[in-house]
Amino acid sequence: MLLCDEYLTPTTLDEAFYLIDAHRGGYRLVAGATDLLPWAREGRAGDVHIPVLIDIARIPELRERIVDDTRVRLGAATPIQRFLDDPALGRAMPAMPRCAVWFADDQLRESATIGGNIVNASPAADGTPPLFAHGAVVKLGRRRNGRIETRRLPIQDFVTGPGKTALADDEILIAIDCEPLPGYGGSFEKVGHRRSLVISTVCLAALVKLDASGRNFEDVRLCIGGIGPVPVRMTDVERFLLSGPIAASRLEQAAEMPVGLVRSRTRQDYRRDVVRGFMMRGLFNAVQRAGAGPDVLTPEMEAACA
Amino acid sequence: MPELRIEATVNGRKVARSALPHQRLLDFLREDLHLTGTKDGCGAGECGACSVFVDGVLMKSCLMPVGKAQGSKIETVEGLARKGNLSLLQQAFHKTGASQCGYCIPGMVMAATAALRANPFADREEIKERLGGNICRCTGYQKIFDAVELARDVQNGRLPATALAETDVAEGKYIGANVRRLDAPGKVSGALKYAGDMTMPHMLHMQVLRSPHPHAIIEEIDTSEAEAMEGVEGVITCADVPGEDGFGVFVHDQPVMARGKVRYVGEAVAAVAAEDLVTAKRALSKIRVRYRPLSAVFDPFDAMKPGAPVLHDYAPDNVTKHIPIRKGDVEAGFARSDLVVEQDYETQAIEHAYLEPEAGLGYVDHDGVVTIVSPSQNITHHRHMLSKIINKPISKVRFIMSPVGGGFGGKEDMIYQGMLALMAMKTRRPVRLVFTREESIAVTAKRHPSRTTLRMGLRRDGRIQAVALKMVCDGGAYGLSTEGVMRKAAILGAGPYDIPNLRVDTYGIYTNNTPSGAFRSFGALQTQFATESHLDICAERLGLDPFEIRRINAMRDGAETHTKQKLKSVSYLRVLEAAERGSRWEKGAPVSRGDARTDLAGEGVREPCSLGARFATDATREAAE
Repeated sequence: MLLCDEYLTPTTLDEAFYLIDAHRGGYRLVAGATDLLPWAREGRAGDVHIPVLIDIARIPELRERIVDDTRVRLGAATPIQRFLDDPALGRAMPAMPRCAVWFADDQLRESATIGGNIVNASPAADGTPPLFAHGAVVKLGRRRNGRIETRRLPIQDFVTGPGKTALADDEILIAIDCEPLPGYGGSFEKVGHRRSLVISTVCLAALVKLDASGRNFEDVRLCIGGIGPVPVRMTDVERFLLSGPIAASRLEQAAEMPVGLVRSRTRQDYRRDVVRGFMMRGLFNAVQRAGAGPDVLTPEMEAACA
Repeated sequence: MPELRIEATVNGRKVARSALPHQRLLDFLREDLHLTGTKDGCGAGECGACSVFVDGVLMKSCLMPVGKAQGSKIETVEGLARKGNLSLLQQAFHKTGASQCGYCIPGMVMAATAALRANPFADREEIKERLGGNICRCTGYQKIFDAVELARDVQNGRLPATALAETDVAEGKYIGANVRRLDAPGKVSGALKYAGDMTMPHMLHMQVLRSPHPHAIIEEIDTSEAEAMEGVEGVITCADVPGEDGFGVFVHDQPVMARGKVRYVGEAVAAVAAEDLVTAKRALSKIRVRYRPLSAVFDPFDAMKPGAPVLHDYAPDNVTKHIPIRKGDVEAGFARSDLVVEQDYETQAIEHAYLEPEAGLGYVDHDGVVTIVSPSQNITHHRHMLSKIINKPISKVRFIMSPVGGGFGGKEDMIYQGMLALMAMKTRRPVRLVFTREESIAVTAKRHPSRTTLRMGLRRDGRIQAVALKMVCDGGAYGLSTEGVMRKAAILGAGPYDIPNLRVDTYGIYTNNTPSGAFRSFGALQTQFATESHLDICAERLGLDPFEIRRINAMRDGAETHTKQKLKSVSYLRVLEAAERGSRWEKGAPVSRGDARTDLAGEGVREPCSLGARFATDATREAAE
């Protein structure tokens, strides 16, 4: 059971930092609360008493959402469900709707935030692999001598290990800037025990862009989660795929490449098999959604990737 | 403690109240506004029994701090049928029989309402997807999906409103007729009160201190500090039991609270009743228990070895129950066989996972009758046991069965009702105990984990000559239903087959694991899993069709059961035939088929699970626009 003496809901960043100062050592930030409340139960943290909870989900900077051809800015308190119901966001981040549809369930996605998913830094997080692929940069803020100071970090420097991030004690994750990738084909593959409310055993985000002929990759971005302490952007596989035409044999070669990356604590053999299958399916789906026709994606290739 | 001021609109009415800052929206709705149609099934956002609309968006209220609801518009299941008329979806749930235990149903109705609000034309796949956050343990979901499709079609004018009406059935005809459930309206509207929804004036909240050790002597329990706390009205231990302390479905080997020693992690040691839940929880941490750990045993085979730790003095061999069956001459049967196959089979512990965690109310009424309201699946037996435990005549003990939010055998055991009675007697106030989901999983009975060794001898034509079956079950720390489970496992284990020579031994064994107990099929599952798997293996070895080997050996009219009861009529062959037809089984021995099989796909076979039905809908919509 989670106990607190005060539940505070600041409506400006200034107010939030003031509360952080006032309750130093005795507060915790809350956004969606979907990880916090299950954490404070028997078998995990048990009964927890936190003197002050500071709910930052109503702060305008954390709710901001700017989506255009040049940038995607997501306030950290953006609910995951927005990736499904904001068409502009779906176009700029083509893997994200597919990721969101596998994320928890329709109801939790309304509460759970993208910033919470990043800060929670679970090795099984669904939201972070696509952000790695979008070259996301996190914007962090804190108050020093009465002034709000911000800094920016690439997401791969921010998420440092299971449950670990570079967030300082008095800092707030304010927003995430992502490279918009309109015209890319996106896919998200995930395996778990059921279809809703499931924690990923492995997940993969794939984003691809084809050249004018539709037979070659112009850009490939692949990031895998659940196989180690942090998501892994597979730049070597990306380079390999860029070096030749889209063909079944080359996809198969690419699918084999990340198998050695698996270094999770459990079920390594299973995860290796999954990774191979995911790579095939994820690439096929992304290429198809990027507009490749049946001349490139032959029925045989489809059968191999199903 | 500074309270939060919550101003919101709930089901169309303005609400302005103070709330405790740690409350979840769920607590606020249930405890403060008495809107108990919103249920607490897991407290972790997994089950959806607590789904409500917040500003038109469906949310899980167990994961929403009440502070987030400030200024919002909330709609609960009670708001759907506010004028007393069931909504279209609620009527459809009634019509299709979508509610069974009913505990998940208010949340399910809310999720269905959200699904049809989001897409009034959602197809079955999309409906499944949108209801994915809500778990039902009884129905298998099909009737729920039927209900949503029915409501959708009536709403869209594809079906007339009369489709929701009760189907006419001939007077007095019920078997084979589609009869509506009488209790469905109370369930789909959230009006039905389960034990955890009930309150009484002046009621106390109870919490239980549980053992952290699998096996330990209790040297001392000091409750003085807890008793001295403000708001604590009672603390009980085994010392408060006035009568014969023991319960169980067959052997009364379990004390209401641990007496002298604990035998499993999670066993009740003491209980506290206080003015509120938080005080009761705090008081638990003030109870000092000095344990002396004993060596423990966790495997039934280890527990059967000489020198193993002994759990109960009355059973120095740790055997809770051994059931033997002997018929014919097994060795002679094996000698006559062309093929003898031996194989081991294992099954694991399984949790019932009913959506309603255990809950109960206890009070002593004006006539001094000790009364327990709980979803007990066995109130008469509980009443007799409790009368002995509290040393009162049976006329002074009353059990009221509250609606059971799923039981499956898991609510047959009197594991908390005794504590409620003792606490009500001690404090002279009504007392309520509601288990958390974690508590329910950690301390209540599970399906018996089993290991079966099965040896079967057959002639070349598939006729069974002899069977020797030995099953050893982990019964856990207390007897509960183990004896009955061993009996059913033994009697039914060899299956509905004519077996001339049979030797069956089933053993329920004490270990320091969570007690095993009753669970649907009550032991038959474990042994029949072995027997049926074995028949498939034997069919393969003999080159026979698996259905054929069963037909050859099936009990027919006039057969004798394994315990020599004469059966006038046996329906097994009809059941087999229906299963064969229904599965579109392709005839042949298992070895004769491979990639060419055609009965693994097509009509009636579920496609692999996927998500994203709504993308297809979106694409159709875009194309239409």
